[in-house]
Amino acid sequence: MTTLITIFLVLGLSVLFTAGLRTASGTDLADHITNPQQRPVLGGSDPKTHAWQRFHVRYYTMTLVLVAFEMEMMFMYPWAVVFVEEGPKALAEMGMFLTILSVGILYGWREGIFRWE
Amino acid sequence: MAKLASQAPVPVFVAQGDDAPAETARLCLNSTLTIVETPRAAAILLVAGTIPASLIPNLHRLHDQLPHPRATVFWQAEPTDLLSEAVTVRNDDNLVSVLTDTRSSLLSGSHGTEADLLPDAPPNEWRGVGSHGQGGKGMMGGTPYGRPMAMTAADFRDGLELDAYTADFGPFLPMFPPGLVLTLTLQGDVIQKVSVVHLPFAGEGNAGAALLRLLGLPALAKRLLRGPSDDADFKRLIRLSGVRAAIPPGLGCAPIGSDVRERFERLTTDPGNPSKVHVDGVGLGDLLIGLEWHEAMLVLNSFDDESLRAICANTSSPELEEKNGDSMDHEGHAGHMS
Repeated sequence: MTTLITIFLVLGLSVLFTAGLRTASGTDLADHITNPQQRPVLGGSDPKTHAWQRFHVRYYTMTLVLVAFEMEMMFMYPWAVVFVEEGPKALAEMGMFLTILSVGILYGWREGIFRWE
Repeated sequence: MAKLASQAPVPVFVAQGDDAPAETARLCLNSTLTIVETPRAAAILLVAGTIPASLIPNLHRLHDQLPHPRATVFWQAEPTDLLSEAVTVRNDDNLVSVLTDTRSSLLSGSHGTEADLLPDAPPNEWRGVGSHGQGGKGMMGGTPYGRPMAMTAADFRDGLELDAYTADFGPFLPMFPPGLVLTLTLQGDVIQKVSVVHLPFAGEGNAGAALLRLLGLPALAKRLLRGPSDDADFKRLIRLSGVRAAIPPGLGCAPIGSDVRERFERLTTDPGNPSKVHVDGVGLGDLLIGLEWHEAMLVLNSFDDESLRAICANTSSPELEEKNGDSMDHEGHAGHMS
């Protein structure tokens, strides 16, 4: 019961706090933001196009390598514990897991991420 | 509350014009002022020096980006037609006391906030080509918020076609030399194309302090602005900060002859005598294309005013050539609605 009261108390306090913040910043929220104020800050210049754009995340191959190697290690620690009990079954499972991950590594290899630049 | 607020440092955004007073750069040394990096954080727009007619629309756009309550102060400059009610400071007035008084009266309400100068309407109608406003060129079609979507263009690094962002930057951008307006095309933050719209103003230049600020050392920048650069302590602090290593080696070198590191060392140790660079036939395109934004800013701020103006003049710039070819009686407010 005490736990329940504490939860509701914290919930109530956070609602009050949020409401207080919203009221305090009420003047800002109520203000109409005009079109000239919506411009991006370019030092007085005007953008020719909308700023919503797609660009290439060039670090994605590095992310792939991190996932391939790091995730492998994260799984290996708990696996090492159960390997003693499970034996060959656990070994087969790890083999399957490593096979799937190595496809990602092979793809990365093909993309040239292991080439030093 | 207003009384308490008026005791805080006055947030000022400086729009530097041609022939700006030499004291403009040293305003940041005054503890009663905070020179802010964006108009969104400012209460007062300080216009220092004459703004050329072609840049007045830019000043008006900048003015409208200040939050309310706001005021404009013209320092050794004539107010523009639309800002004729603004405060004017002459040579013999005390600028700092005018700024603090203006801020106090803004907060107390005795000085009313300045209204927007530009119309509260999007630059274009938010409609696509379809009968219901849908469709059109670009990523999604239409012109959301009155601006067309970016079109795809090949990235010069590998030919990958993604959205190229083109915009004019300057003339009152804190990381740009005052007066410089560039049209830059970016893919991500890599510069793909550059052309010059307006040359930087000629002035005494504070490239050393600008570089130190860009490199995240504002205290050392202030120290450089304050005084004798042959100070041994200052040189030791620069060395200890490791800032030299933060500048990529060879940056902005070819075909000038010296790189940003070398020019930085000269600017911080002997600011009155910047290293001479060979600018014959060198354009901004040779220096900036392929650089990321922060590298490009370091390169731009590493030159003395004279060299930078020469480099900008060498840069192919259709807009600048067009302007020079035109008669001088161009309309000052052209482009307001753009």
